Amino acid sequence: MKEQFQARMLRIHFGEADKWRGKPLREAIVSKCMELGIAGATVYRGIEGYGASSRIHHASPWRFSRDAPIMLTVIDTEDRIEKLIPHLDSMVEEGLIDISRVEAIRYARDDGKAEEPTEEQG
Amino acid sequence: MLKAGKALKVSIYVSEGAKHHGAPVCSSILDFLFYRGVSGATVLKGIAGFGADHHMHSSSIVEISDRMPLKIEFIETPEKVNEILGKLEELAGTGIIDVQETTVAKPARVSKPQKALPAEHLRMEGKAKLMQIHIGESDRWKGKPLYQALVEAMRANDIAGVTVYRGILGYGAHRRMHKDKAMRLSPDASIMLSAVDSEEKLRALLPLVDQMVEEGLVVFSDVDIIKYSYRAQDVDVPSTEARS
Repeated sequence: MKEQFQARMLRIHFGEADKWRGKPLREAIVSKCMELGIAGATVYRGIEGYGASSRIHHASPWRFSRDAPIMLTVIDTEDRIEKLIPHLDSMVEEGLIDISRVEAIRYARDDGKAEEPTEEQG
Repeated sequence: MLKAGKALKVSIYVSEGAKHHGAPVCSSILDFLFYRGVSGATVLKGIAGFGADHHMHSSSIVEISDRMPLKIEFIETPEKVNEILGKLEELAGTGIIDVQETTVAKPARVSKPQKALPAEHLRMEGKAKLMQIHIGESDRWKGKPLYQALVEAMRANDIAGVTVYRGILGYGAHRRMHKDKAMRLSPDASIMLSAVDSEEKLRALLPLVDQMVEEGLVVFSDVDIIKYSYRAQDVDVPSTEARS
């Protein structure tokens, strides 16, 4: 099955060491996305960089405490992305969010399952 | 390059252990001067001294001190100094900065013969499309990893370039959470391929992508590109103006 639609890509940039209520921020946001029924979310780790605080982030495998740059990407329809933003406002203390308009094509296996495999309420 | 004549000599005094946003002040200042095109700078290490806090810093054994005084010195034109002084004040933090008028009697010469400049490289600006393909690491196509097959397919279709990224956490079509640690072992990480090229070339690739990707997400977005290239013949990005 192939489905084409207009979507938004939202990316959040923060640090690997960032926490939210004692839990890694990246995991908290991914859980929140699932809860809101957003189609998918992926977290990428950068290998070097600096951000809002001008702290240089390194991801050294030899160091125990790491604070590599993290980028979390979410792609979904505009209304779902809009629903996510108020939650991010309270969760992301320091970071950058960028949103762009994208044209999306979703491929799904038609193995007799429901037409919307990703859309149940979380 | 600094010429003979009037110039300013700037000295910045900082402490060896001082930090600026987590990095040593001394190296932050040196990097700043280097990347802002200052013609030269020297860091001098003091062996003892005291500063505003009137605490004597010396390298006695008792105090294997990381608070030794450092002096960073450079000579530049007044215009250059004015341009960068503001940021230097911020970088120096509690340290003192002093500026003196000086005269360059003999400018420095580059000691090594300049390396042959790389052949004039080309800078092109234009509009292009970014194509991202989100799939799983364990997806396969004709017996090989799908991401690898896609890279080969793009290469065969002359797509300018593609990079494969592996996610460390996430969920996708199956709503299975892929987690950080387990991911090292599990081959089912989220994979993202990112390619930038002209819209026509990427669209032409779509029928092939349709066949290859059973489950996944492809997104297109408009991007402004700046492309650098060594080869002068390589001007095939449509709707771009080439500048050297």
